Amino acid sequence: MIRDITIGQYYPADSVLHRLDPRTKLIITFIYISSLFISVNYISYGFVFVFLATIIGLSKVPIKFMLKGLKMIFVIIIFTVVFNVFLTPGETEVFRFWKIIIYKEGLITASLMATRLVFLIIGSSILTLTTSPITLTDGIEYLLKPLEKIKVPAHEIAMMMTIALRFIPILLEETDKIMKAQMARGADFETGGLIKRAKSMLPLLVPLFISAFRRADDLALAMEARCYRGGEGRTRMNVLKYKWQDGIAFLVIVCYLGVLIAFKLVL
Amino acid sequence: MAIISGLNLTYEYKIHNEEGVVESTHKAIKDVALDVMKGEFIAILGHNGSGKSTLAKHINALLKPTEGTILIKGMDSKDDEHVWDIRQTAGMVFQNPDNQIIATIVEEDVAFGPENMGVEASLIREHVDKALVAVEMTEYARHSPNKLSGGQKQRIAIAGVLAMKPECIILDEPTAMLDPSGRNEVLKTVLELNKEEGITIILITHFMEEAVLADRVLVMSEGEVVLGGTPKEVFSKVEYMKSIGLSVPQVTEVASKLQKDGATFNQTILTIDEMVDAICQLK
Repeated sequence: MIRDITIGQYYPADSVLHRLDPRTKLIITFIYISSLFISVNYISYGFVFVFLATIIGLSKVPIKFMLKGLKMIFVIIIFTVVFNVFLTPGETEVFRFWKIIIYKEGLITASLMATRLVFLIIGSSILTLTTSPITLTDGIEYLLKPLEKIKVPAHEIAMMMTIALRFIPILLEETDKIMKAQMARGADFETGGLIKRAKSMLPLLVPLFISAFRRADDLALAMEARCYRGGEGRTRMNVLKYKWQDGIAFLVIVCYLGVLIAFKLVL
Repeated sequence: MAIISGLNLTYEYKIHNEEGVVESTHKAIKDVALDVMKGEFIAILGHNGSGKSTLAKHINALLKPTEGTILIKGMDSKDDEHVWDIRQTAGMVFQNPDNQIIATIVEEDVAFGPENMGVEASLIREHVDKALVAVEMTEYARHSPNKLSGGQKQRIAIAGVLAMKPECIILDEPTAMLDPSGRNEVLKTVLELNKEEGITIILITHFMEEAVLADRVLVMSEGEVVLGGTPKEVFSKVEYMKSIGLSVPQVTEVASKLQKDGATFNQTILTIDEMVDAICQLK
């Protein structure tokens, strides 16, 4: 029933993007997302489109995986378009019916907004599609490290993410087992309205929570037995190292940013 | 040379009532003396609640004795500065294989211990590779532990301890949740480590067939060590073992019944092979 849920949406392949350092990819994604807000017009977005298409080509990830992410935010896109079309004031009237007036400016803003959302989602899915959750966690830990000076618990955040990744499949399997055990004794999870179904989930949560706490207790003991004492003085087996490809990637993103800023200044 | 020596060990659990006030205390282990030589393979037997896990946690400094002292390689577990050295010297493997694997990749998990100890990156790699070879799990190094069998997971847990270069490994019912083939995998690994690498093994179990493999067996009941000696010495006391709620290996029991019916064996029989030999010698 709950099987086959994969965490993250990593698509294993051997591409330039897959081999990049996770820190590089995180920083580049961040720059890319901010860049979408610099220059908002058709020409810049045409350029972003070309850029994104090249990246997708390089990633060797089938395009349908990229579009999967869009499904989830489809409703949000529709909302954005509707609100922008009807509520943007402007001068050039395109359509009028009773009190509803649609202006040309509204249509332009709406289409740009929708494009921006699509670019945003596709851009960030490239990150999660080409980086395995573990490397991503490593990257986040390294990037947060400087923030430890202002008391951001970088190591703890990364450790929590690692443990969550390890235990989500185990807890899912357990949920499945408890559900089956309860169904065998006549519990009904599949019929009835939303409220009834939510109520029937309650007896599922109690044993699941108890078991999760027990596991946490065991795990804490096992970690302590293996000399775990927080991030201080800890070393890593796999140390992240920037390679020449990362340098090129940074160069590319700087050029990309430069072009967008130029568009902003010229247009 | 004794690697572990405990004297007058007593541990008290405090039992709290609903307001959190200590209502009574329960002595999980009482006045236990324990001496383990380097390179020995010791099995600790006992039924549930006999205090064997509590004793095991003392060897790893996870618990500190209420009374008495325990020295691990000469280090007192009550000394806070020695805690990490003790845990490195005496590694511990627990019962549930799922609840002691931390990372999502086998080799990363094996590296967890040495990473905590602050070992240098290249050296960690070396330790991890060696540990994986020792438990014969090298081909799974890049796999996710979720897809492995119970026996394989437990071998990963052993590798995780091995990578810390311990002198002693305590296994707290490592086979209790495994199927027979997984149990054999784990026992084979443990025996190899003991015989080839000379690592001291303390195996806590309630399977009599596992205890037979040890050099020395300690039997615990109600928090006390009630019997100790070679497997032959211990399992020759069939009646006594039964009186404290434990059993003896199946063949040993059959042999003892045969003896009651008039057969004479000149030794305590612990394995099927010994039984076959003994029966062939009967006239």
